[in-house]
Amino acid sequence: MKGYNGLYLMGNYPGAELFVETALYGLKHFDFLEIGIPFTDPVADGPVIERAAHELIEKGFRMDDLLRSVRRIRDGAPAGKKLLFMTYANIVHSRGAAPFASLCRKAGVSGVILPDVPFEESAPFRRAFRPEGVDLISFITPENTEEQIRKIATAASGFLYCISIRGITGNALSLDAQTQKKIALARSHSRVPVVLGFGIRDRATAATALKHADGFIMGTAVIEALNRKKLPGVRSLLRSLEETA
Amino acid sequence: MKPLPDNKGYFGPYGGRFIPETLINALLELERAYTAFRKSPEMKRELDNLLKNYAGRPTPLYHARRLSSSLGAEIFLKREDLLHTGAHKLNNTLGQILLARFMGKKRIIAETGAGQHGVATATVCALMGLKCLIYMGSLDVKRQAPNVKRMMLLGAEVVPVETGGKTLKDAMNEALRDWVKNIRSTHYLIGTAAGPHPFPRIVRDFQTVIGREARAQMKRLLGEDPDFALACVGGGSNAIGLFHAYAGRSRTRLIGVEAGGRSHRPGDHSASISLGRPGILHGTRSYLLQDDEGQVLPVHSVSAGLDYPGVGPEHSYLKDEGLAEYVTCSDREALEACLALARHEGIVPALESSHALGYVMAKRARFKNQKVLINLSGRGDKDLGIILEETEI
Ligand SMILES: Cc1ncc(COP(=O)(O)O)c(C=O)c1O
Repeated sequence: MKGYNGLYLMGNYPGAELFVETALYGLKHFDFLEIGIPFTDPVADGPVIERAAHELIEKGFRMDDLLRSVRRIRDGAPAGKKLLFMTYANIVHSRGAAPFASLCRKAGVSGVILPDVPFEESAPFRRAFRPEGVDLISFITPENTEEQIRKIATAASGFLYCISIRGITGNALSLDAQTQKKIALARSHSRVPVVLGFGIRDRATAATALKHADGFIMGTAVIEALNRKKLPGVRSLLRSLEETA
Repeated sequence: MKPLPDNKGYFGPYGGRFIPETLINALLELERAYTAFRKSPEMKRELDNLLKNYAGRPTPLYHARRLSSSLGAEIFLKREDLLHTGAHKLNNTLGQILLARFMGKKRIIAETGAGQHGVATATVCALMGLKCLIYMGSLDVKRQAPNVKRMMLLGAEVVPVETGGKTLKDAMNEALRDWVKNIRSTHYLIGTAAGPHPFPRIVRDFQTVIGREARAQMKRLLGEDPDFALACVGGGSNAIGLFHAYAGRSRTRLIGVEAGGRSHRPGDHSASISLGRPGILHGTRSYLLQDDEGQVLPVHSVSAGLDYPGVGPEHSYLKDEGLAEYVTCSDREALEACLALARHEGIVPALESSHALGYVMAKRARFKNQKVLINLSGRGDKDLGIILEETEI
């Protein structure tokens, strides 16, 4: 596939085996894997991802179990593919940001995405992550001013996560002219790829994303495909994307 | 003492703005608007007028003589239960609705637990002719049914939230999601002194009228400050409103009473400060009930308004600085206190407020011959169903 693209899966969802299998299949198509660590109160997520998180937590989710799966993915994935964690601030805070970063490094996870840590609050996390070589991924959104975008894009490491919409995961994609301009501005200031997330669910939306950004992230649609038809569902979704590029 | 929060919204290590990047500029806009609002003499006049002639301030301070003699302590009640809509929540919603209008917002959303904040929000939206949508956990919709009907009567739309424990925390998640989607048109009228900066500060400021009045009233009555001042702590708005008049400025010992629930086992209570550790939820770093991996724990309280795993950041600061003490009162003790106040004084308190009195009754030796000010944050009409079910009346 064209671009620098990420696949989101909820860690060990719907079960460890299927998660690992889907991840390894997905990494044939995608450049990086975003591994959701479930959190009880995922305020940036829509109902599909929230339900998956709650289901895992009810079944007694433990970080150690997820780390075992992550190691299998690391070992099985082609070199150069990146793994990242996506979770919420309290999961990192609870362990301590520095111990969390060291856990990431040992698991071969190169970055962390925390949708409830805006740039303003990110410094302590960045400081704790840096010695371990772990990136904290920054966000830009349609609400940011040009000045904020310049600042955030210049400081970005790993990649820059462009939230395409005013909304949460699972909402529909819409890119107005102003947002397109902001993405272009971010790309001109960022040393790392600007990747569009939220609302990418099929060929058409992926193609739109690739027109404006360096890549896209797909999440809710993949979880839906998994829920409906297990791995074959994901296979046919990803194959249909392949035809785009 | 430096005024807190600092310009990043921190009370020492607590507070901050842990919310999606999409919301940052809305919070900065709110902060700027609030600064202008506070400097505006017209706004102050309008708010003062509403507090007096619409809400019924000042609320009385009442010396509960029969209860005092039965307890062997002098009990004084700050009567927020007599405020229009039946709880202290209106102090904050009146302030914030003027602020929302000042910012030109057309749509108001809020979360509610006991329904008191929902009613207070629906009330001020009716007053200003603004559209109002209230998120409420579906468990709370059931157990606080009278307040749901009141909100609907006032023209608000009530959205039951079916996720998680179906209580206050889950309602707040949904309200935050709504805000991210409708950031341009909508003001999120948070009901307690928690959430991202500047909410803890704004809500506190609008609630300090409780402590300002109570302190002056106590001085007039006794010629001095009380030995103790107590309030129940859910998110912490009525307590911070009372404490602020005393913290660091008086010898009065401040006690925040959290919901001890059925037991101190995880899931059986909502005593965030007493039994939790610092964490990050709903935009703020503060004490939080969580497991060893940072998952937020389920909570329980007989009172829906205290049924929340977090607490406003300023209370965490007061706790760590030793400026206030935080204790628990069980469901049972709160129900007993509710009955005692009804039978001794003819006042039926909200189950939330009953926790503050319940602690004094349970620990009466500690308060022997002491002058004790209790914030009666609300009235118990909404709780009649639960009170009748849980006691042998
Ligand atoms: C009467 C009453 N008191 C107290 C509370 C708890 O909130 P806070 O801790 O913000 O005062 C509530 C909340 O609904 C309430 O209705």
